[in-house]
Amino acid sequence: MSDPTFRAGFDAALETTINTALQYDPATRQRLSTLDGKAMALDLTAPKLQCCLCIEGDQVRVRQQWEGEVSTHLGGSALAFVRLIKDPDATPAGLGVSVSGSSALLAELQWILSGLDIDWEAPLAEVIGDIPAHSIGGVLRDAARWLGDNLNRAPVMAAEAISEEWQLTPPQAQFEAFVDDLAEVSLATERLEARVRLLQEQFSRREAE
Amino acid sequence: MKDRKTTHFGYQEVPVEEKAGRVADVFHSVAARYDVMNDLMSGGVHRLWKRFTIELSGARRGQTILDIAGGTGDLTARFSRIVGASGQVVLADINESMLRVGRDRLLDRGIAGNVVPVQADAQYLPFPDNTFDCITIAFGLRNVTDKDLALRSMLRVLKPGGRLLVLEFSKPQSKLLEKVYDQYSFRLLPFMGKLIANDADSYRYLAESIRMHPDQETLKGMMADAGFVDCEFHNMTGGIVALHRGIKP
Repeated sequence: MSDPTFRAGFDAALETTINTALQYDPATRQRLSTLDGKAMALDLTAPKLQCCLCIEGDQVRVRQQWEGEVSTHLGGSALAFVRLIKDPDATPAGLGVSVSGSSALLAELQWILSGLDIDWEAPLAEVIGDIPAHSIGGVLRDAARWLGDNLNRAPVMAAEAISEEWQLTPPQAQFEAFVDDLAEVSLATERLEARVRLLQEQFSRREAE
Repeated sequence: MKDRKTTHFGYQEVPVEEKAGRVADVFHSVAARYDVMNDLMSGGVHRLWKRFTIELSGARRGQTILDIAGGTGDLTARFSRIVGASGQVVLADINESMLRVGRDRLLDRGIAGNVVPVQADAQYLPFPDNTFDCITIAFGLRNVTDKDLALRSMLRVLKPGGRLLVLEFSKPQSKLLEKVYDQYSFRLLPFMGKLIANDADSYRYLAESIRMHPDQETLKGMMADAGFVDCEFHNMTGGIVALHRGIKP
């Protein structure tokens, strides 16, 4: 068994990050307080980790063990879980997340976090003042938008480069046509096989007569 | 002439009746800077040890918790949030100075209503039988004169099924870590005590008392002897600290 100190450190860091972020979105924090006392158990598969998120007042507690009542159990990858929580239209089944217990808590949490709007400028303004914080915030927002756009386009661009520029794989249309042809050949082979079997049976019957 | 019963105070042997007074002097001396020193001495890791203790306590809303040797109220503050308005946390400490610092600090943080400070000796807990759902004693048991008596007293005031959690310095599991830890405890710790709290002797006592405290298996046996069942311990930070848990049958 690993040293509990490390796990406690990880949980503490995660909890501090969540609550520090919530500190700069009072509206979400207030909505969260309506779930006071509720707990959600997470069984993450990638990375392998089990924890429990407990709502205490307007804060989230991350616990390795929780012996109180758990409203919802979720199982799946961390990435799928983050997407599920962030996107109110996402469904657990669509992301490969298993749900047991009440799904109402999950739905409420999805609704609350869909309105998450953290004012990242506020902590910066506390240190360096409003005007420099706003200028830096603007630059960071532009950078984040640019990064987000590029990250969204990255898979498509990478696929194009691999197939069109470097020609390491066939283009998608060519590949799909190949798959269709292959399926057709497979069906034709099966039909031929069935026909040969039928002929063999007819031939055997005649020989027997 | 009848021999006087003695016990250890760090590496010294002192008459049993003197130990409580000497320990009290140490904590009167360090109370004001206890938190700063804790953070400095452990590099803040004591917060993680206490966090794990809270998790294993299984404390829930509405429960009654006793935090013995609660000192400056770290565990009490966290329990207070967990048990909520319908629960209660008793912050107990034998040392008036520590208790006053703890109570004031909790009030400064707005923690009140479900917290009751009580000056109490762990050996003779002033509570009725079967009162508490959970008892914690963090870094306090080694300072108690008669540990067996204290464990039995804790058993008495716990409800059946209730848990005792003893968080205490213990024996490092690796020889290398033990050597490093010894150097740290007997050289650096008194130096830091002198620098920060202007009190090297108290911090030397803390280091010595840690060495005199029963190791993991011995303490587990003591808990079983006192009447606790399902006794277990978890080593933390290589065994520098161990968290023991026992259940009242």
